[in-house]
Amino acid sequence: MSLYHTAQNIEASALGQTIRESTWLFPAIESTHLLALALLGGSILIMSLSILGWGLRTPVAELYKSAHRYSNAAVIVLLITGVLLGVSEPVKLYGREAFWVKMISLSIALLVTYFVFNPLVRRGASGASMRGVTVLTIAAWLTVAMAGRWIGFS
Amino acid sequence: MLGELVTKLADTPWSIALHESLYMYAITESTHVLSIMLFVGTIAMVDLRLLGISFTKVPVSQMLSKILPWTIAGFVLLVITGSMLFLAIPIRTYHSIWFRLKCTMILIAAINIAVFTFKVERDKAAWDLGPVPRKSKICAVISLSAWACVIVFGRLIAYNWFDCDSITSPTMAELTGCPLDPG
Repeated sequence: MSLYHTAQNIEASALGQTIRESTWLFPAIESTHLLALALLGGSILIMSLSILGWGLRTPVAELYKSAHRYSNAAVIVLLITGVLLGVSEPVKLYGREAFWVKMISLSIALLVTYFVFNPLVRRGASGASMRGVTVLTIAAWLTVAMAGRWIGFS
Repeated sequence: MLGELVTKLADTPWSIALHESLYMYAITESTHVLSIMLFVGTIAMVDLRLLGISFTKVPVSQMLSKILPWTIAGFVLLVITGSMLFLAIPIRTYHSIWFRLKCTMILIAAINIAVFTFKVERDKAAWDLGPVPRKSKICAVISLSAWACVIVFGRLIAYNWFDCDSITSPTMAELTGCPLDPG
């Protein structure tokens, strides 16, 4: 079965239909997606700014103790709401280049955040390479957000 | 009077150019959304500190002096891109109930910031690292709720449920400034 067929099946699913046919569900999920985006931005930025020397002077490993709860919560809400949004219009998404850009950059952002950025922050890493990782992490998430918004335009 | 102003605004070449341009409008709106991460994201972190539930090892004074400049930078970006988005679609946005609610919430958030700046944080040296007072928590809750509403109402502007052509109740006509269609 091709990927396009799968998209058609998801589109025909009860969940997909319910979200698509409701007036309020899609906007409500979309708004929650945006609120979580803000939370993700804040929690990653508060650590990043400190690493880059433009923010708090508290050791970043200490900031991580509070910030990682919010970035984790935000990522979970973003993934759940994102899947729900996707389930309601998978055939449209299949044909959108921006969607695939978003999925690829999302994979990169998740890998970089959870396998590189977070472990380094937890260890209190600093220096040029840590700043590089930080810039890469922010760039990856910005690409995800930009591509996500672009799905609506293309 | 404001109604006339937005009608004039809609006829300006700037408005038409923004409205007609596919890329400029899309880039402006994307920048607006991305700036939310900077603005609401950072203010939310400050609010969580002011609630006393997170970043408790960071002095309140440092949270305000080091993070709020970024919040302000985000706000500047949002106001510039937001004004451009309004300029692109002035009449519809002016009548949008969501836009009006969004502006109301921004006003509430602004008053809250004024109260925090001129009253609440005055004696912050006394609770820089200690337990935060109730007044600080109240400001934080108002801030978090108001900005969350601003995001949600802002997103809903895109939906046409209450556009002028679908308004039938006198109350909604009053609230949106739309002419009530007798037909």
